[in-house]
Amino acid sequence: MGWVRNLQRELFTKGGVHPPSNKIAATMKIFPGPYPETVVIPLSQHIGAPCEPLVEIHDRVLIGQKIGDSEAYVSAPVHSSVSGEVTGIIEYHHPTGVEVLSVQILSDGMNEVHPSVEPLGDPMEMTPQEIRKHIRRGGIVGLGGATFPTHVKLAPPEDKQIELVIINGAECEPYLTGDHRMMVERGEDIIEGARVIQRAVGAERIVVAIERNKPDAISVMKEIGDEYGFEVAVLPARYPMGAEKTLIKGITGREVPSGGLPMDVGVLVDNVGTAAAIYDLFYEGMPLVDRVLTVAGDGVAGHANLRIKVGTLVRDVIDFCGGLVGEPGKVILGGPMMGLAQYSTSVPVIKGTSGIVVLRGETVWKREPGHFVCIRCVLCVRRCPMNLMPYLIGSYSDAGMWEELETLNINDCVECGCCAYKCPTKNPLVQLIKVGKEGMARQQKKMEELTEALDKE
Amino acid sequence: MANNKLMTTVAPHLHEKGQTIERAMRDVLLALTPAVVIAIVVYGMNVVYIIAVSMITAGLSEVVMRRLLRRKVTLGDLSAMVTGLIFAFLLPPTTPLWVVAIGAFLAVGVAKELFGGLGKNVFNPALLARVALMISPLALYTTKFVEPFYWRSVGFFTPVATSIDNSVVGRVVYKGLAGNNVDAVTSATPLSLLKSGRLLVDTVAGATPVGATWVTDAGRPSFWSTFLGFKSGCIGEVCILALLIGAAYLLYRRTIDWRIPAGIIGAFLAVMLVTWNHPIYQLFGGGLFLGAFFMATDWVTSPMTRRGKWIYAVGIGVSIALIRLLGPLPEGVAIAILQWNVLTLLIDRYIAEPKFGEVKKPWFNRLPVFQKRKSAEGET
Repeated sequence: MGWVRNLQRELFTKGGVHPPSNKIAATMKIFPGPYPETVVIPLSQHIGAPCEPLVEIHDRVLIGQKIGDSEAYVSAPVHSSVSGEVTGIIEYHHPTGVEVLSVQILSDGMNEVHPSVEPLGDPMEMTPQEIRKHIRRGGIVGLGGATFPTHVKLAPPEDKQIELVIINGAECEPYLTGDHRMMVERGEDIIEGARVIQRAVGAERIVVAIERNKPDAISVMKEIGDEYGFEVAVLPARYPMGAEKTLIKGITGREVPSGGLPMDVGVLVDNVGTAAAIYDLFYEGMPLVDRVLTVAGDGVAGHANLRIKVGTLVRDVIDFCGGLVGEPGKVILGGPMMGLAQYSTSVPVIKGTSGIVVLRGETVWKREPGHFVCIRCVLCVRRCPMNLMPYLIGSYSDAGMWEELETLNINDCVECGCCAYKCPTKNPLVQLIKVGKEGMARQQKKMEELTEALDKE
Repeated sequence: MANNKLMTTVAPHLHEKGQTIERAMRDVLLALTPAVVIAIVVYGMNVVYIIAVSMITAGLSEVVMRRLLRRKVTLGDLSAMVTGLIFAFLLPPTTPLWVVAIGAFLAVGVAKELFGGLGKNVFNPALLARVALMISPLALYTTKFVEPFYWRSVGFFTPVATSIDNSVVGRVVYKGLAGNNVDAVTSATPLSLLKSGRLLVDTVAGATPVGATWVTDAGRPSFWSTFLGFKSGCIGEVCILALLIGAAYLLYRRTIDWRIPAGIIGAFLAVMLVTWNHPIYQLFGGGLFLGAFFMATDWVTSPMTRRGKWIYAVGIGVSIALIRLLGPLPEGVAIAILQWNVLTLLIDRYIAEPKFGEVKKPWFNRLPVFQKRKSAEGET
């Protein structure tokens, strides 16, 4: 394991920006969130196949009861977060902006827990297959925001040996403090969860990655680390330090190849929230029905770290925190750098929602619509953590030159937004890159169809 | 509760405060201020008249051209002001004001706006206008330099302009605003002395070169007078120290990239040392510092990648050296930078940033010799 850098010194990678961190909620304890009257639980909260509903209207469901599942491998089941009556299986708003089949449950306030919820036994005596089976049944997905089903991540192909598990507590997004508080308050649970992950993939080491701006979390984790025998990597406070590829490069010095996965360099990265959810699953039996998120921003009355039931509507959470202040500009699910702006506050909180950031109308970054203007100031190239040339991608995408985009490795882009954050002419670079990815895929599909058609002739 | 007032855009939802074009342009204007002050001290208020005409014409050209081309007028980004100021910096301190106005229009109206506006110009606008004047019939007005502190005999506030008088040997006289001849003396710049051979670096010339009062008794320009600005030359290149102060500010604000000036000056110095030329006069005598710190670093016309910047910078340094040593024309810096402005597009196309996740091999591994050896090893 000589290739893991000396973790005592500060780790460094290229690029990145320093947005004002605004982590006001960092000192606030995690608080149980509102008890919602109605929850709307989307059946697609993860990357992969959407679930089929397992309940019918007017069924009574209990906390932890499975209400949706899928036959597909890359998928994760969905559980009820309240006890009550199913009042509808409807197409409903989803944070990604589309409408998704969702289960609407009217809570009866009884908080009755499903009988299947009981501790699963000592995971250290289970085989990796059993662990993965349980994790799939618990509906656990990556809680950092990408929501990739964890059981798939824990099953690398035979020829890929995972040597290192990185528990990602970097939390580089401004405003968000949920992971930070989790480490301070539930450090031991996180490590128990991490050890389950370690056992499932047969890794030799665990490293917890924390940004320098969380000294209390670092000291807590270091203390536990001495006890359990894992290391804490102190990272510079810079966005996007917590992005998977940047993180791996910072800690190991290895670069994940283009189009590859962390397992290609023998690493597995999981969020602290995921590790804590795994702990809950194995030691308490509770599947993933709630998550910790941060409510912050200048457009909301109170900042808080809340433990929110999946399916709670955003407006209920905002009301719980004292309601809106001033003219609301944007309601963002996730952090302000990569989160999704919502057109309505009646969207539900899903498994991947790491924060609710409300920005006032006057503080939101506004941009006058217009064409792409680049003065080639190099800031985007210099700040890109993935060594891309965002200005070129942006101008080609603006001009609709899809073929050129492939040579610029557009698919390596992690859409962290550093380029757009810095751009002096305020070009919507991330938007152009997204359009470019879409356009390139369309173009490639068209070309394939054309080749097929020509081959047939 | 669909709230119609909520905005939905793609992330990121934050933008760095104050990260605008105006900020960068203000930085450049501020960085050039010390050089302006020194130029006023050395050449009198004439400098102010020239700068004022240049900047006002540049601004007006931008407004007029953008109106004509039906583009949004963006005078507020100050880029036309910067072009105007830099163009004034490239002129002799007695350039007639009408020549200044023509040049400033060429810079902003033609070299910038006709190429597509901010960010689309291929050439550095100020440099293109300067070279256009140099090869036009107006060349005479822009290649004659007065001696430093000429205003002691003329008056500090008196406007003075180069004029042509066929009855005079050398045809150049200086005239005041009223058309009266003014008592100012044309002087050679350090580089033109070097080039004409009247100033030999290692030998003591017999007589002091005509009009070059800043030359020491030994027949050489003194180091301090070339460095601090008591010499003939363009407005902007007078005081190297003032330019360095401005450059340090820009480097501190990260408005310019250190690689470009470092590459230009380094490569230039290397060529000068190899060819055994006196580097001090070559470095401080002409517009090298002005070009390296303020013109080659222009965002629009310099390459984007680190490696590209090094290629561009070293190329400019070598080109300046070659033009100065072998070419007949003055303004070697301007021509060299324009030459590499064209190549910038090519550099950007072929020199990319190293791809993330690619296994990096030392560069020498890619040499044919090593590859042959490797394949031989593979066979055995």
